[in-house]
Amino acid sequence: MAHRDGTDELVVRARGGDGDAWARLVERHSGLLWSIARSHGLNDADAGDVVQTTWLRLVERIDGLREPAAMACWLATTARHESLRLVRRRGRDLPRVPAPREPEPGPDRVVAARERLGRVGAALEALPRRCRTLLRLFALAPSHAELAAALGIPVGSVAPTRARCLDALRRLVP
Amino acid sequence: MNDDELMAAVRDAFEILDPVPADVLAAARASIAWRTPAAALAEPAHDRGGHAAGVRGGPARTLTFVCPGSTVEIEVAREGRYREITGRLMPSAAALVQVRHRDLPPGGISARAEPAGLFCLPRVPAGLVSLVFRLDDGASIVTSWVRL
Repeated sequence: MAHRDGTDELVVRARGGDGDAWARLVERHSGLLWSIARSHGLNDADAGDVVQTTWLRLVERIDGLREPAAMACWLATTARHESLRLVRRRGRDLPRVPAPREPEPGPDRVVAARERLGRVGAALEALPRRCRTLLRLFALAPSHAELAAALGIPVGSVAPTRARCLDALRRLVP
Repeated sequence: MNDDELMAAVRDAFEILDPVPADVLAAARASIAWRTPAAALAEPAHDRGGHAAGVRGGPARTLTFVCPGSTVEIEVAREGRYREITGRLMPSAAALVQVRHRDLPPGGISARAEPAGLFCLPRVPAGLVSLVFRLDDGASIVTSWVRL
């Protein structure tokens, strides 16, 4: 919940000019915003664009925000809209941008990462893309409300979807 | 593993596989500097045409931003990595127009809107842009950020 992690208080403090509070907001929520952009198949540049635009949208509204507690949902919704906007734009634009890519770390990093990723990481790679994307959002969203906002689905359908994907992952983790 | 442990492992895995790049985080941290508490926010109402990137002579893109009491209309023409922005402020008023852009110093590109409210910004770098209007009567208007 937004109240639990003090997000509302950080917004109020950031609005009062507290730079540290703003930095903590950014560190706390950027991972989810980045994942939302990735879930729309966006490449590095476009995903970075979505994250940047989303924070700028908050900055332009921060002084008029009536309910700071709802900010985490608002950020997730905004990132989804900005992602969809970019996807639509890319669909119309010519020449087309290169196809979105999965991150490509160098071979050394891949080996090191595989060791650290362990069983869950290997299982994630075996999952269908849709489920992998959902699990990532589930892991990062502070609550079902933010998740519903990130996915654009009703809050009520979050729990069953989460359970289905967790089951699929569990079957793959030895 | 219980559900929470599985979720923590998923979070860790993606943190290794696809972390948020440092420059994206840095830009997000810096974005608070763009706050303009005293300005009225003009939000996008229309965004039409001009989507054929790289096609010369295509239709220009037109955007409209509105806030209570004022409207900003702009037309954006592409010229390589630059954009030419022509526009007008309604109701018409003389103002200083400043371009806000991550790659520009504050006030790096500005123009005067003549008393009829017309203005032209001939060489704005592509990217996220917001315009600030400092009206001669002391009021100010800022447009929502938009990628041009």
